[in-house]
Amino acid sequence: MRISLAQVSPRLGDLQKNFELHRYFIQKAKKKKADLIVFPELSLTGYTLMDMVQEVGLNPAEDPLFKRLKALSREIDIILGFVEEKEPGLFYNSAAYLSKGQILHIHRKVFLPTYGMFEEGKFFAPGKNFRPFAASFGKTGLMICRDFLSFGAGYLLFVGGAEVIIIISAAPGRGFSDEGGFATSRMWELMGEALSFFSSSFVVYANRVGFEDGKAFAGGSFVYNPLGHLIAKAPAVDEQMIIADLDLEEVRSARKKWPFKRDDRPELLLQALQRIVHEDED
Amino acid sequence: MKINSPFVEKVLCAFIKEELSKFHYSKGIIGLSGGLDSSVCAFLAAKALGPKNVLGLILPYRETFSEDVKDARSVARRLGIHLRLIDIAPMVDTYFSRFPTRDKVRIGNKMARERMSILYDFSAREKALILGTSNKTELLIGYGTIHGDMACAINPLGDLYKTQIRELAAYLGVPEKLLAKKPTAGLWPGQTDEGEIGLSYEEVDQILFQLVDSRQTPEAAVATGFARESVEKIVSLIRNSEFKRKMPPIAKISSRTVGHDFLYPYDRNR
Repeated sequence: MRISLAQVSPRLGDLQKNFELHRYFIQKAKKKKADLIVFPELSLTGYTLMDMVQEVGLNPAEDPLFKRLKALSREIDIILGFVEEKEPGLFYNSAAYLSKGQILHIHRKVFLPTYGMFEEGKFFAPGKNFRPFAASFGKTGLMICRDFLSFGAGYLLFVGGAEVIIIISAAPGRGFSDEGGFATSRMWELMGEALSFFSSSFVVYANRVGFEDGKAFAGGSFVYNPLGHLIAKAPAVDEQMIIADLDLEEVRSARKKWPFKRDDRPELLLQALQRIVHEDED
Repeated sequence: MKINSPFVEKVLCAFIKEELSKFHYSKGIIGLSGGLDSSVCAFLAAKALGPKNVLGLILPYRETFSEDVKDARSVARRLGIHLRLIDIAPMVDTYFSRFPTRDKVRIGNKMARERMSILYDFSAREKALILGTSNKTELLIGYGTIHGDMACAINPLGDLYKTQIRELAAYLGVPEKLLAKKPTAGLWPGQTDEGEIGLSYEEVDQILFQLVDSRQTPEAAVATGFARESVEKIVSLIRNSEFKRKMPPIAKISSRTVGHDFLYPYDRNR
């Protein structure tokens, strides 16, 4: 399975221009014979939308632009980020998986960062679920940016049977590091390495680049294989498309070597969690 | 506090280039003082936009052949950027001949705003955006003239402390002479920033780094070995300069108000 990560810089609030951007990279990925192209979080709209959320929100079942995006998915699967108006007046930070002209799955961002430089909770409704779904190449789980930093979320996808975990992101870079790139990029890689290894799954992280209101999005998209090895990485800052070949057989061989999946006890954790949550209630 | 200079250069050049192109500008304009910050800004802009797309304005008060003017000229020459020199004395003198004062701060602020006024007119005249040069130290302690040297279209240097700008300057190849120069706001002859603030930039930056970046309490900063009075001074400078870092408050009386709940990004539709 060949996957292509489009580390791009969308135009803030300009759906038409961003549609063109998607089309351009989809053509490019098709030429490289990719089976799937992954765009970053809110790739169709840009990230720092604030009140524009209500202006760029769309219902994917009816929206004409989305119809054209679905049409583009006849020859290549597409993951993209957009503002979803799921019900009138309710806006979600969503990721759609498009395949064969249809919407196969939508994930709505659960953890909306609202602290410091982040204001998502002010403008978006939170999603509620982490549900893996059957993509043509294997069982797949989606997360959006901050979702990925919750190890509980990654665990839910693991328990749900995900073999490929895909995260779309709009993570700004902060701090300096000796290796070059932003210090915060390490945080994402750390989780990528840990989650891929301990879930024996592929972890695919597609971040964006470019600037919005002075924030620099850090790029550094990557892919880890089910043994926790980095198999592809994009540079920081630069717009670029990278390609990785995923052999889903590696999930099987990793799980034969490390029986984390076999030995997992979600029913025990569920009971313990229920106890903890109830005891801790105010 | 150490920065990775090659990476910082890369990010700041990308920022300058992208921000200008979003607003359909290809040219940048910088007020060159002959000091370190504006020189570093010119180095970055020349690299990001190409030297022919950068205009340096030297805006001295009378002393058009001073050391600072010479230094600003040598930076421009070395980078191959465009250069104009405009003496602000006629405008400033005309004003103060009607409202005379000996208040050095009033005179200095007036000069800073005169420079701003010329930069903005040249911005329109040359279709070039103004690149700001206020660094993180100045922004945090409020060491700048509001609507004067703090005014700009974009600021590539605002998240770098003065000592970090020195580090970046050395990497960029800014002439040694400028690195060794005593920083001055140029408000009056012989003025130095450190003389006026009463602390060295090394001290100020390390205290700011603890308080701001590391989110330490003033007590904790004192406990790590800084003089209590230095820490207290910095804390009070930060507290008393919030107005320089914000848009002025608007009295909210309607259901949707600019700045309160009419919320759009600067880069709207860009």
